[in-house]
Amino acid sequence: MVAHLLRLRFRLLFNGFRRSTWQLVGAIIGALYGLGLLAGIVVAMVGLSFADAEWGRAVAVLAGALLVLGWLVVPLLLRGFDQSLSVAKLRSFPIPPRRLLVALLVVGLLGVPGLVTLLASLSTTLSWIGEPVAMLAAPFAALLGALTCVTASRALESVGASLASGRRYREVMGVVVFVPVLLLGPLIAVVGGSVASIVDDLPSIAETVSWTPLGAVWSIPGDLALGDGGAALAKTGIALATLGVLLLLWRRALAVSLVAAPPSSGGSSRAKGLGAFGLFPATPTGAVAARTAVYWLRDPRYGGSLVALPVLVVLGVFLSVTGSDWFLVALGPLFGAVLGITLCAEISYDGTAFAAHLSTGLDGVADRAGRVLTLALFSVPVVVLATVVPLVVLGRGADVPAILGIALGLLLTGFGVSSVASTRFLMPVPAAGESPFKTPPGSTFKSQLGMYVAWAIVFALSAPEIALGVAAVITGELWLGLAALGLGIVLGGVLCVVGVRRGGAMLDRRGPELLASLRRTQGA
Amino acid sequence: MSDAAPGPVVPAPGGAPDPTTTSGAPALAISGLRKAFGQKVAVDDLHLTVPTGSFYGLVGPNGAGKTTTLSMATGLLRPDAGTITVLGTDVWRDTVKAKSLVGVLSDGVALFDRLTGEQLVTYHGLLNGMDRETVAQRTGDLLDLLDLRAAGGTLVVDYSAGMTKKIALACALVHAPRLLVLDEPFESVDPVSAANIRDILAGYVRGGGTVIVSSHSMDLVQRMCDHVAVVASGRVLAAGTTDEVRAGSTLEDRFVELVGGRQHNEGPSWLHTS
Repeated sequence: MVAHLLRLRFRLLFNGFRRSTWQLVGAIIGALYGLGLLAGIVVAMVGLSFADAEWGRAVAVLAGALLVLGWLVVPLLLRGFDQSLSVAKLRSFPIPPRRLLVALLVVGLLGVPGLVTLLASLSTTLSWIGEPVAMLAAPFAALLGALTCVTASRALESVGASLASGRRYREVMGVVVFVPVLLLGPLIAVVGGSVASIVDDLPSIAETVSWTPLGAVWSIPGDLALGDGGAALAKTGIALATLGVLLLLWRRALAVSLVAAPPSSGGSSRAKGLGAFGLFPATPTGAVAARTAVYWLRDPRYGGSLVALPVLVVLGVFLSVTGSDWFLVALGPLFGAVLGITLCAEISYDGTAFAAHLSTGLDGVADRAGRVLTLALFSVPVVVLATVVPLVVLGRGADVPAILGIALGLLLTGFGVSSVASTRFLMPVPAAGESPFKTPPGSTFKSQLGMYVAWAIVFALSAPEIALGVAAVITGELWLGLAALGLGIVLGGVLCVVGVRRGGAMLDRRGPELLASLRRTQGA
Repeated sequence: MSDAAPGPVVPAPGGAPDPTTTSGAPALAISGLRKAFGQKVAVDDLHLTVPTGSFYGLVGPNGAGKTTTLSMATGLLRPDAGTITVLGTDVWRDTVKAKSLVGVLSDGVALFDRLTGEQLVTYHGLLNGMDRETVAQRTGDLLDLLDLRAAGGTLVVDYSAGMTKKIALACALVHAPRLLVLDEPFESVDPVSAANIRDILAGYVRGGGTVIVSSHSMDLVQRMCDHVAVVASGRVLAAGTTDEVRAGSTLEDRFVELVGGRQHNEGPSWLHTS
């Protein structure tokens, strides 16, 4: 039974590779990344064995607690990042919950993240090379810890799954939950900046964490090494109790979800009237624009592509508080570059629904222009604000024309480039209704490559206004700035129109081929 | 065929006859059509003529090439070889004009399902270049006709499978095409809605339109269609009026006879519980 599910798991994985070479490339890169990480951890652990036992324990506890936390949080974000063995699919088979639980636990532990966790946990043994008692206990604690990670993740997931079966709820949560995580980067930067001051407090922080369910299990060998047998025993109790409670919780949720009705589509959302379709002109271009507008509001994948923007703002403010303004000065152009390129994924987001454009004989130019129109309607004001507000706050109002020229140039050029690019290559995107942050396995590499190429082209084509704008900022000459602004708008505008035309012609020519590859990706 | 015409008026197919379409040209003429996906030949030298004003059924086993053929006939999939004309217009030469003559309901293709039903039909109308008033009026008519008025404000993603088929049919009808190409229109549609759809299609044919339907239900095709073609392995095995093709027996028996593959046993013995 357990072996059977395990075999199924790997069979699914390998069949996925057979479908797409890119998926295999992605998986290999992922595996190499994991191995590199592991090698680093092993080296660090060997290094730790020469340090004070106090430090070995602190590092193990804090890193372990973070690991458990990661196992809890990541699956919530990448909802369904490994749905190949979801309970919903196994529901129809007569498997008792207890055996299913054991099987899922083993499968989880022997997946790539599970194996990396297990090996990393086991490597803590190395940090106790000088302490025989701790070294004996460490592998058992490590196994217990890895089990706790997988169980916690699975338990939370199945409890969450039974709570969140409504579509809207899932979609909103998918975006909302992700924002604090993206802010984690700047947060770590803040903490990192002051890490020197808290470094002395780490052992005492670890001491506190080691008494919580998150850290208890990781502290056992350390306590033994420090000769505190009582604490080690108590923490073993905490760790076992944690695992027990989690297993119980998981079992309960599993039993419920095994008999529950398949998740329905959830509460129906209603809208009155035609919405955006009443506001945009009643032409094919207007219709595409209106449809895109509805999707920007309703499809979380569209909004999800914009989460980078608040992060940029936070990063800019943070950097300027710590003393360097350049990031905040460049905020507008950065916004322009990010927003201009978002069109790249639009046809991929459509999926096979794109057939509607094809079967109605829609002019390719109208398709391109409609999408650009909606994006421009909100991105131009946003870019202008992102340029003007920081510069005014920083008291550099004189630089506004130059920076605005660069920003608008990048934005408009981006429209043109992505109008062509999205007809040339399809981005692997999560299918409609899936979490906007679900990355189709193995896709990241290819899509990132495509994005970077598109960006490189955008920057190359906007080189004139960038050069002029930078010159204006350096020399402080107002006329240079105004020239950059004019050039950015005119050159960007021309490139945008050219891009829409060429993309449209390409769409007319390659429409059926595009639909065929959309069908293939949908089948994946 | 039911002759009880339903309440609301079906959009009249085609409007004024286009002088450039050869009068008397068949609604759909396919010759020498071929399409291969890698090694697998899906459609192999297929010839088919659908007369104007016919209610044409396309039947065949799974993987016979029905969907592939219909996709190529509607400009969604580029054929490897062969010609396809709709009312005298070459689909792959004069694509835009041919597409304006055809209404399509594709199987296995997603809809823009984050729109409400009303928005979706409106979208299709506007994509066809119709003006706002006509689109609004026809959208209303179609929602009434297909009994979707109450669901007009609901997102299509929250529709049931049958409702989704019906809204897709409304999208195919909104620009009053001369030829309606429907791939599996009755799949997962409840019997009452299916009967309503049949009435609508029959009314559309009486008004001068042509319908081509692919289906697995022999019974349905036999009752509904006046012409039928049996397709297997990418070829037409038999085509003509329904009476000609079934040649005295039922369409289902004739189909099994033509396609073969019927197994005459009652399954393995362990399946018999008593």
